[in-house]
Amino acid sequence: MTEPGSTSPLPAAPLLRVEGVRKRFGGVIALRGVDLSVLPGEVHALLGENGAGKSTLIKILSGVQGHDGGLIEIDGKPASFSSPAQSREAGVAVVYQDLSLVESLSVADNLLLGREPRNRFGFLRKRQLLAQAQAFLHAQNIALDARAMVGSLPFAYRQMTEICKALMGDVRLLILDEPTSALTDDEERILFDAIRKAAARGVGVIYVTHRLNEVFRISNRVTVFRDGQNAGTFVTADTNMRQLVGAIVGPDHAVLKAPVTEAGDVAPSHQPRETVLRLAGVSNDRLDRADLELRAGEIHGLAGLIGSGRTEILQTIFGLRPVVTGEASLDGKSLVGVDPATAIARGIALVPEDRQVQGLVLEHSIERNLTLPRLPHFSRMGWLERRPAAEQADKAMQRLRVRAPNAATAVKNLSGGNQQKVVFGKWNQPVPRVLLLDEPTVGVDVGAREEIYGVIRAAAAAGSGVLMVSSDLPELVQLCDRVSIVVDGHIVKTIARVEIGSAEDLHHLIQLSQSFEEHAA
Amino acid sequence: MSDIQTAAQPAPPSQGRSLLQHLIKGERPYMLYVAFLIMLVVFSLASPWFLSIDNFLNIGRQTALVSIIAVGMTFVIIARQIDLSVASTLALSGMAASLAMSFVFNNWAFGALAGLATGALIGLINGLLTTRLEIPSFLVTLGSLSAARGLALMVTNTKPVIITNEYYFKIFGEGSVLGVPAPILWTLTVTVGGILLLHYSVYGRRIYAAGGNPTAALYSGVHIRQVTTLAFVITGTLAGLASLILSARSHAARPDVVQGMELDVIASVILGGCSLFGGRGFVLGTLLGSLIIGTLNNGLVLLGVSSSLQLVIKGAIIVAAVAFTRR
Repeated sequence: MTEPGSTSPLPAAPLLRVEGVRKRFGGVIALRGVDLSVLPGEVHALLGENGAGKSTLIKILSGVQGHDGGLIEIDGKPASFSSPAQSREAGVAVVYQDLSLVESLSVADNLLLGREPRNRFGFLRKRQLLAQAQAFLHAQNIALDARAMVGSLPFAYRQMTEICKALMGDVRLLILDEPTSALTDDEERILFDAIRKAAARGVGVIYVTHRLNEVFRISNRVTVFRDGQNAGTFVTADTNMRQLVGAIVGPDHAVLKAPVTEAGDVAPSHQPRETVLRLAGVSNDRLDRADLELRAGEIHGLAGLIGSGRTEILQTIFGLRPVVTGEASLDGKSLVGVDPATAIARGIALVPEDRQVQGLVLEHSIERNLTLPRLPHFSRMGWLERRPAAEQADKAMQRLRVRAPNAATAVKNLSGGNQQKVVFGKWNQPVPRVLLLDEPTVGVDVGAREEIYGVIRAAAAAGSGVLMVSSDLPELVQLCDRVSIVVDGHIVKTIARVEIGSAEDLHHLIQLSQSFEEHAA
Repeated sequence: MSDIQTAAQPAPPSQGRSLLQHLIKGERPYMLYVAFLIMLVVFSLASPWFLSIDNFLNIGRQTALVSIIAVGMTFVIIARQIDLSVASTLALSGMAASLAMSFVFNNWAFGALAGLATGALIGLINGLLTTRLEIPSFLVTLGSLSAARGLALMVTNTKPVIITNEYYFKIFGEGSVLGVPAPILWTLTVTVGGILLLHYSVYGRRIYAAGGNPTAALYSGVHIRQVTTLAFVITGTLAGLASLILSARSHAARPDVVQGMELDVIASVILGGCSLFGGRGFVLGTLLGSLIIGTLNNGLVLLGVSSSLQLVIKGAIIVAAVAFTRR
């Protein structure tokens, strides 16, 4: 991989200059005067924990919110946007984490939404619309079918559509808010290619992420925010992981004392214990003779490409998909035909992929969310016993270190990491027999991520069998006792920790399994 | 990345711990209380007859039907559904109750059971069609609005059925305890029952979750179909109860009564702070909502406003109030 900066020399005049920008919400100060400059053709990574002020700055740049003070210049001219339309007019395009696509329209319709080619009577020129979209996708070398319905696409492809949409207009400054959450390595590579191409055309890119290794792969410079202030700007080539983590969490954080996300330093492997969960030849519309054995106290990873059937394995165990043929059993008792309520009653817990859609009722309080799956534990004859429920919720909040004023806080007001802790908390007491995790740290910042790893290890130590899907291979290498590789709904290989080696090795293994299966088919 | 929201919105006040707090929680419902108080003051100043116990009992009697059904509708709307069929259900249930007493067994309990069972059955059908066939409840209940009314008109060929059971009149219509008339006592009973079920039972928690985010509820082991169907059954049963009160008051059941009442019921619920998007709402708010509509009707009559103009004023006030109290 070439150094991104070496392909185009960086001119000196900044495209975007932000100086001393301040913003407060009521009594809370979100930005205490931050600086940021982005050069044309530069990919500038923006890092910081949730609450550091990254989102606030992005919302100001995109015209969603105003700022209270400070200077914003684009191409040397002062800019202040009172609406997203104005910001867009000035050439600022933002790709948000929450997608803003119309699911019932095709990729082409979405790409040209609001700019559809029309004939002189104002009617839509459908053929031209499709051709324009296809030409654009082709030029960007993006493998998307322009005719596909967005609603039918896997998450990763929707995200690519979103990014393409942002790149379509006359864009000077492209802002990406955690674009790679839930992308596989291959998809990430395509995305990075697209970003580099945009940068090579002179577009300035602000790249917000929680994944530090991406910073080294894509960015020219890095700016870190902490508590609404600048905590440093670095030239990527001259910095390292440790320095960035230090800037993100502050000088005295415990994370610094523990080694950061590298293979090798793992929890002691547990003694192999009895099998809790067994799948033998399980098939349904998405699974193809899946075999799996999960032991008590084990953290078992499921690796594979997006769409390989990893998530569907978890959903089938949890009773969200039927077992059509084959046998699934928990502690020797069949799981065929169970629904989620029964699965929960038998000690199976699921932390789903999309916490906002599947994991939480966002409008409701932490307490309501925490107690929902275990309501029978907090009731007598169908009547709720509020005090035990409230006490449990408070305890779970403390144990998981959920940062919120109290258990009555609505979940939608929490940061991503804290929301994810609440989803974990739903299943914390009593300890589940089987804990199913689907991308447990997507969109979670560095500090909270370590805490969530701690929760996962604690569950295994308490005897749960943990089955974990993740696209973050270093995470699998770091946490798992064994890893199974999934290709097309079939488990092709299960390997023990000692044989895995590095994340790189695991990546090659997945690729190899994938191509081998494709040849065999 | 919700740091903005965290910063922008102060933590909401503690939710759901005591009965008193239910009064205060919800989406700025104090606006509603203030509006209610202003309305009371205005009417009191404008009409010498307004501020009297007799008149308030009168309002309570007049709003009983809407208040009772609106408690059920609160469950339905929290579950992200709607029931348009309540007025027709009321009519058909009333016919069932009166016919059961006239032709089968002239006993008040038997008639009541027939009326309640009819309402529950229509609710069950609404619920099953909505959850099993996954037809939107708006369409299902639009259908049963028409079908139930048609059945009510068919059974007697549009003729009213006279009721002669004295106990029935007393229990549901004309009796009173300590000067409080039976319809008001029924309203209070249903309201208290609704509060207990919605705010103090496992079922209540589940219906909030089913409406707030059905997918997350499913992933948490909530039987969404059962929970939602039960909400329709509760509403149908309460429409049945309302039919008993109405027929006991008029000593007869008529098939063409209370047409269009579903609008008052739904307006009460929304006025009371329920979100049409599900997951939010509370029973006392609904009661207040129906009292506001009832008081408005009563006050405008006392002021001698023509009935046509009353409709216009009522419509405008409902939309304005919802616009203010909505999130």
